[in-house]
Amino acid sequence: MIKPYKLKSHVCRFCTFFQAGDEKIPEALLKTENQKPDLEGFAYPLPSKKSDYTCYAKTGEIEWYGASNGLTRYDANAEREEDIVMYFSAPRDLLDNNVKAIMPDGENVWVLTDTGAAYIEMRLVDAEEKADILLEETLKYVDRRGMVSQKRLFEGRNLESIKPYGHSDNDGTFTGNFAFGEMFRYATFKREKGEEHPDTVKARAVATRAVEACLLLLHIHSRGDGFAARTYLCADEPVPDDGLFLRITDGKATCLKTTDSEKRGVTGTVIDASAPVPERLAKLYTEKGYTINDIIYKADTSSDEITHHFINLLTAHEILGDDSELDEIIVSSTKKLMMHIIDHGYELHDFTGKPTTWAKWSTSYFNTEFGWVDGTLNSAQLLMYLLVTMKVTGEEGIWREHYDRLINELGYADRAEKHFDRLYQASLSMGFDYFEDIMYGDHMLATLAYYGICTLEKDEKLLAKYRKGYKAWRTSIEREHNPGYDLLYAVACPDEEVDLDRHAEWFYRTNASRLAAGVSLVGRHDVPVKKLRAGAEEISTLLPPDERFISKYDRNPYDLKNEDSGGIMCVESCYVYTLAYWFGRYHGFFE
Amino acid sequence: MNNKIHIISNAHLDPIWLWRWQEGCGEVLQTFRSAVERIKEYKGMIFTCSSASYYKWVEEIDPELFEEIRKLVKKGKWVPVNGWWVQPDCNMPSAESFARQALYSQLYYYEKFGEICKTGYNVDSFGHNAMLPQLLNNGGMRCYVMMRPGMNENSEIPENLFWWDSPDGSRVLTYRIPYSYGVNGKGDIDRELPLLKERVKNTGHGMMFFFGVGNHGGGPTKGDLDYILELKKDGYEELEYSSPDEYFSEMCADRLDLPTWSDEMQHHASGCYSATSMVKQLNRKAEYWLANAEKWNTVSAKISDLPKATEEFGKAWQEVCFNQFHDILCGCSIMEAYEDVRDSMGYAMKIAANEENKAMLKIAQQVDTWLDGVTDAQSSIARHHCRNLKFPRPVIVFNPNSFEVEAPVRTYHPSRKVEDSEGNEVLFQNVRSSRSNDSHLDTVFNAKVPALGYATYWLWHEDSEFTERSTLDGGISAEGLTVENKHIKVEFDGETGGIKSLVSKADGTEFVGGEFCVPTVVDNSQPDTWAHNIFKFDKTIGKMSLKSVELVECGALRAVMRVKHTYGGSYLTQDFILGADSKNIRVKCRVLWQEPLTILKMPVTVEGENPVSTYEIPAGFIKRPCNGEEEPALTWGDITAGGENRKGVAIISDAKYSYDCPGNTLRLTMLRNSIFADHYSDRPDADFSYCDEGIHRFEYAVYPHVGEAEDSGIQRIAAAFNSKLVAVPVSYHKGTMPLKKSFISINKPNIRLEAFKFCEDGSGDVVMRLCETDGKPVKAAIVCDVAEAGFYADFRKLEVKTFRINSEGYVTETNYLEGIVEE
Repeated sequence: MIKPYKLKSHVCRFCTFFQAGDEKIPEALLKTENQKPDLEGFAYPLPSKKSDYTCYAKTGEIEWYGASNGLTRYDANAEREEDIVMYFSAPRDLLDNNVKAIMPDGENVWVLTDTGAAYIEMRLVDAEEKADILLEETLKYVDRRGMVSQKRLFEGRNLESIKPYGHSDNDGTFTGNFAFGEMFRYATFKREKGEEHPDTVKARAVATRAVEACLLLLHIHSRGDGFAARTYLCADEPVPDDGLFLRITDGKATCLKTTDSEKRGVTGTVIDASAPVPERLAKLYTEKGYTINDIIYKADTSSDEITHHFINLLTAHEILGDDSELDEIIVSSTKKLMMHIIDHGYELHDFTGKPTTWAKWSTSYFNTEFGWVDGTLNSAQLLMYLLVTMKVTGEEGIWREHYDRLINELGYADRAEKHFDRLYQASLSMGFDYFEDIMYGDHMLATLAYYGICTLEKDEKLLAKYRKGYKAWRTSIEREHNPGYDLLYAVACPDEEVDLDRHAEWFYRTNASRLAAGVSLVGRHDVPVKKLRAGAEEISTLLPPDERFISKYDRNPYDLKNEDSGGIMCVESCYVYTLAYWFGRYHGFFE
Repeated sequence: MNNKIHIISNAHLDPIWLWRWQEGCGEVLQTFRSAVERIKEYKGMIFTCSSASYYKWVEEIDPELFEEIRKLVKKGKWVPVNGWWVQPDCNMPSAESFARQALYSQLYYYEKFGEICKTGYNVDSFGHNAMLPQLLNNGGMRCYVMMRPGMNENSEIPENLFWWDSPDGSRVLTYRIPYSYGVNGKGDIDRELPLLKERVKNTGHGMMFFFGVGNHGGGPTKGDLDYILELKKDGYEELEYSSPDEYFSEMCADRLDLPTWSDEMQHHASGCYSATSMVKQLNRKAEYWLANAEKWNTVSAKISDLPKATEEFGKAWQEVCFNQFHDILCGCSIMEAYEDVRDSMGYAMKIAANEENKAMLKIAQQVDTWLDGVTDAQSSIARHHCRNLKFPRPVIVFNPNSFEVEAPVRTYHPSRKVEDSEGNEVLFQNVRSSRSNDSHLDTVFNAKVPALGYATYWLWHEDSEFTERSTLDGGISAEGLTVENKHIKVEFDGETGGIKSLVSKADGTEFVGGEFCVPTVVDNSQPDTWAHNIFKFDKTIGKMSLKSVELVECGALRAVMRVKHTYGGSYLTQDFILGADSKNIRVKCRVLWQEPLTILKMPVTVEGENPVSTYEIPAGFIKRPCNGEEEPALTWGDITAGGENRKGVAIISDAKYSYDCPGNTLRLTMLRNSIFADHYSDRPDADFSYCDEGIHRFEYAVYPHVGEAEDSGIQRIAAAFNSKLVAVPVSYHKGTMPLKKSFISINKPNIRLEAFKFCEDGSGDVVMRLCETDGKPVKAAIVCDVAEAGFYADFRKLEVKTFRINSEGYVTETNYLEGIVEE
């Protein structure tokens, strides 16, 4: 029985920036001469060296210290330990880090730095309100015909200068995560407010659109054989030189020239593209005035997308399945996708007639150098796909035959247990610390794959095996204290404890915008740096989300120098927050 | 399939066992010379050898030979393994000792050979604590070779090659030698090679063949090497000269799915954790003293002109590390060798004493203890610092622990009143001194000292008429055989001398569930010194007879019940001391033991279902079944039982390492009187000397608690029991530092400072080692102004972390090797 954790309203930072010379910068700030703070005997670690602090100001009971590498906020009465000392740095909170003056303005502060000023407000925001703010930002600025990954800006920090186009290599994956969270938002509202409530109606519309965007990727290629596109562009969007793209024209798809297509010798390959796209899904582009002949889709799809598709097919079937038209598409899409994988020897086959680079779940792949390590996750994935297919279609038959064969003849369930052993051995043989050898995007894939098999499998023996396999992933996932991973784990393995208080920190300290502005980590005086065996550098403590780089569920949050996805020129989707929040709320972890 | 059999040419070298160290040193020189010659003679031969201390001997005594070895190492013909000073016992050294084993050795190897050891290698050590994977990883080693216990002793541990995990999440790829670390002679070779070949076939992976005369050194003989060459030509083409490093590298590349072991590896020689109490006591004392003295040297050198003593501490630790060799610390060497050990440990502790004293006095000099008028003209007696009657004398109490400690401390004069730095009276008691001089009285007072800090107390002499006599009462009372304070009530048994009742006054919990502190004598006639093939000491031959039980003290600060027992020609005197604010009972023991082939055990019993015993091990704790097997432990063992409302009793000791726990009774093994180096009890008729005969002085404590051991705070109580407050009487002087100060702040109780030292590279950087003690992952904030540092760090459960702090206070997380050497 889960005891819900009460998430309270919490201060959240909102920063407004003014370049030097901007008339909006108060004259008084320019004339402010702060005292140097007396930090002798200060009881907490400070982000800057004590002697580097040059200015000091007070807003109520809160003290602010400025240094050459950022701004420190000290709240001696903060309820939570991590809120006692907060760090503000460029470019997320400041234009640059050399703080020259601090001027209180009620509870807020003006901060003067070399290149301008920042006005920092600390507003109380509750967890749901933050989810709403983030969702609104995503729908307004990031959405691209229902797909939500990230968008670039023409002008730094200015969301209004958003570029109208811009795909992500993993649109299917990221949109899948978004859809997953929004479905649980709808389900929560439905339970709490009733089906007819305007919030519920709106939430359903958002969730449905996201699910449709994902489903569209299963049909947009018009191959009719259960393939899945990575993403797609419309005719007026530039085609990046990044992967394999096929343009659809009059029932045929032709591979466009890119570095990758040339390298593989497939430029100009023409394949059939005559299968119709379900009208309900096609409206995502037709309502924007495009037709199928305007579509350029991206091939070489990975297991990442397929895993997200299956979990979304399952979730959508369960939560939105009362929409019979949609459910029919879900059921038929599931069957086709699964059949494709079975028909191609547990691989996803591209237009080339060969498997894509990463969507391989066959034992022949597992016997390769790379596949030996990958095989543990991919085994769990394929088992999940089959369990989902049985659940969504309500049929067993061939799906069950293959499921049993994978377990009894090909050792998939056994292999799914061995993640950590194989990862560790591979990293040892290469002279790595195993944290250096992790593809951090695999953490979400593993979470979804094992969540799927652990919640769908009813056989106690197999379930024990799957849970053991899931636990093997926790060696690297657990330290992230990411509720997006941990809450799914808690549902899949109810006997395991997760730290909801650490998750509260995560919700409280996530910024209310996904502008990907970075932070200054190098040179923090209060954060030790650790060099790993192969040279990667990690920090020794997990910082609150508002003091570390912005990322999706695909990076190592301990990295010292991880790059933001686009800095102040980019805005990310909100799913990182909304998935965790709404899944947790729906399952009663939070109130 | 990789069917290779890797020939590991080696010579097991015991520097002390049935011989003294001087002979061991000679054995090393001869073996190294012989190995160099064999490498020259036999193409492809590789020699594997552990223990940095051996290399250092050779370097000092035969530099030419050492130079030859250096060249061979560079060519890969000679492979140093085990980046530790010796092959130590792997149960009794503290976590910090394992850190020092790695630190001094790996830096030595790096300096001399340009590389560190990749493989841990303790082929003869008698058992392996559950935290070793972490302790090895932190010293730069990812692979491990061990042999004991054998399959006949513990068949649950995987055979051959497996992953070994410690609770913090560390792991080492481990090879368990199946037969012998030193196969030699045609007969043995013929017997073992086919067995290894069979294992290769069954496992699908290569195996190692440990080959060469050992124990007293030796290495591969010409005859055996020639025979191996013959075999290689004749059906054993899979034999190849190799090293453990090479073996593990090949196994990793082979992508094997191996079994995993996530527990300790016990038991082989269960008697080794209690035999020869003297060496155990010296080890415990030296470990704590050196670690604490080095902390004070670091603090003091940071705030004064006191020189850093890194080199001195290195010399001292190297002595301690050497004496942790498995046949030494395990108490199974010859009697004469322990005279050498006593000298060696004395040298180490003299360094600790010197450096600690210098550091504390340097700190004390800066504390403002001045009292106006104290230099006014007075009689010579009054001017005598200890008998100044007009003014209280300042005593600065130092706390080496990283958490605040409140505990009694002793000074060697009686007092009339004691005050703290704020002028508040504190509890004290004038107690019997060890001397027969003057008043016969010492002062014991209650000091409360901040983390890694000091506090000044003012002691008015007993004869002073310039102050009122203290009237503070600590709430201690005694009636008949019962003593109590505000926390617990203890009733002694007039028949047995044991404890009849121990009750928590907070909730009425009774902790005595059976036999409790009744000294029990157990038969030790069958086991040899190691107790080969014997895992339980369960043949009770009697209880010690109670001679007297009497209340000898009951004052403001403490009550003392003295219990005397006898057995044969032996006696045991125990002072059960209950302090005013104490939740445990401290027991000072004096034993004269003269009973051959006996064991003395001290039991505590807790009533209730589902008993679980818990023990401190290096860098952590472990839970073991209550099956009566003799178990190694560090400073504490615990028995906890009951349903939902569980309760337990821990025994803390300052010198002991061995317990057993049959059912609900936990028994501290106080001494074990075996014949020195009695191997398989092959005893000719002789007038033997016994390893635990004579006088023993040590302390233990009994700590009752509710809930599980690891949640009871036992880790900190046991640490403070072994790292006691130090009272330093000082003079009156002006100073810049306050009367009370802490040099570190750690905001989580389960993070403990293990080491605070200067980096070995002479840079002046400071090294701080911290460990998580309660098995609970945590994020901690550490502030240390003397190092200008304040930082956060995440700890996994039972994780040890080492931080290096530069002169600007910036922090790098390193490992035992301090960032001087990287893997």
